[in-house]
Amino acid sequence: MTALAVENLISGYGSKKILQNLSFEIKVGDFLGIVGPNGCGKTTLLRVLAGLLPLWQGRIKIGGWDVAELSRKEIAQKVAYVPQLMEPVEGFTVTDMILLGRTPYLNRFSFEEEEDWQVVKAVIAELKIENLANTQVDELSGGEFQRVAIARALAQEPKLILLDEPISHLDIRYQIKILKLLYKLRSLKTVISTFHDLNLAARFCNKLILMKKGEIIAYGRPDEILTAENIWSAYRIKAEVRRNPRKKHARLVFLP
Amino acid sequence: MKKRILIYLLFSMLAMLAFSSLFLGAVTVPVQEMLSSPIIWTIRMPRILLAALTGILLATSGVILQGVLRNPLADPYILGVSAGAGVGAAFSLSTKLNFSFLGFSTTPILAFLFALLAVLVVYRLSQVTERSSPETLILAGVAVSSMAAAILALIIILSGKLQSIYFWLLGSFSLSSYQDVLVLLPYAALGLVFSYFYSKELNALLLGEEMARSMGVEVDRIRFSMILVATLMTAAAVSVSGLIGFVGLIVPHLVRLLIGPHHRALVPVSALSGAILLIIADTAARTVLSPMEIPIGIVMSLVGAPFFLYVLRRRRMRK
Repeated sequence: MTALAVENLISGYGSKKILQNLSFEIKVGDFLGIVGPNGCGKTTLLRVLAGLLPLWQGRIKIGGWDVAELSRKEIAQKVAYVPQLMEPVEGFTVTDMILLGRTPYLNRFSFEEEEDWQVVKAVIAELKIENLANTQVDELSGGEFQRVAIARALAQEPKLILLDEPISHLDIRYQIKILKLLYKLRSLKTVISTFHDLNLAARFCNKLILMKKGEIIAYGRPDEILTAENIWSAYRIKAEVRRNPRKKHARLVFLP
Repeated sequence: MKKRILIYLLFSMLAMLAFSSLFLGAVTVPVQEMLSSPIIWTIRMPRILLAALTGILLATSGVILQGVLRNPLADPYILGVSAGAGVGAAFSLSTKLNFSFLGFSTTPILAFLFALLAVLVVYRLSQVTERSSPETLILAGVAVSSMAAAILALIIILSGKLQSIYFWLLGSFSLSSYQDVLVLLPYAALGLVFSYFYSKELNALLLGEEMARSMGVEVDRIRFSMILVATLMTAAAVSVSGLIGFVGLIVPHLVRLLIGPHHRALVPVSALSGAILLIIADTAARTVLSPMEIPIGIVMSLVGAPFFLYVLRRRRMRK
């Protein structure tokens, strides 16, 4: 089943065109990694998909729904966004922050109800962060905060969860932890995330998009995408692909 | 549930303060003569009610502005909204434009229009770059306030009503009547109801504009209408009670320390606390140098300006 279909997407900031005519499709349960050099348009693509930047041309369909025909609230019920950096709110506990994820389900004259609290509890249990539930968000470590940020996104009960470089500022232990978490989530949600670390992305994603200057230069399975030619054309860096014969994961070794 | 207890506590405090304030003043009224005393019912009672309503209007307006502008330093006085309202109200009071229509006086309406002009200018000035610092908004407020102060001074000089307008401008509840209370009541009610039901959006905005958008909040539309409401509340307060500063800054800050940043509680608790603050300040204004009265605007500036400096310093230290 198609989770997301993007056809001839063109967008940018102000009058500056960044994304040139992108088209791709992913299925429900995919874990898509978007990689490419700085400034290639990874974040811009995520922000367009999250409905935070206007679509200049083309079409985005989420689970068969044309995003252009949805209200902001309806989009927020289908797509959740985890930005690269979020300021912790002073005075908020982890539970308070996750509860904010219920915002798209609240009516004008109502507030959070039992059902919303149930969702928050379920998310906390799913991410195993019960011990943090009453901690102030500004006291969390970077890795803990990232998990809470993901929990907040999950409380939106989205079909699609978009993450902007969720691991680039974490230590390796938390990088793996977050990636495993996203990998696990993939069975319930479709996950799209941008990455800098090609090897980690290849290890956990089942599909990769390699971008350069606002265009997709390769799209497919990680072992199809991570070739010496592709890396050279995207980054101008020499790389060698090594394959682990037992596991099928490709691993890049860079030769600067 | 801690918050609910706090609200009850504040309510009883408000009632107690209002009651004891009835007996404080230049003339001593014994408790047994309370029911028949004109001093209590025609002078002190409307005055206390007016102080409470003004406190509600200014404090709520501060909560809204700090929330939608995502700026902890926002306050209708600091941003020049009050000064703008002052120009409109002074203009109306000094010319023949001051009349009543269907029970609505023109003074709050003119005050609103000028306050709106001020807030739009301040907002535009502070949005020059994509990521302006909170201080930019304050600087823009300073510029607009000075401009408004100059125009006010001009109106006062040209009107020939120097004393009456100047006295009103300094902020005072000394000539309050039930009429004034009735003028402010609908604005306070409207503003409170509105900001209470929009507290969800204000909460989402705590995570930033982009995050609020990604959670389904139509940020631009909501910011615009909330600024309108805050401006309307400020304009009503100014047109009746004059320029009283810093209520919208002090109250939300202290309340946040007490109950956290949740707007669903922050809005009503700040409104209550604003009422309490102005009743205390007004009681002080009329008793400290009794029988002389200090205009309450002066009292609030004496307290509020140092508080503003404290908030500024605390922000600097944390960076």
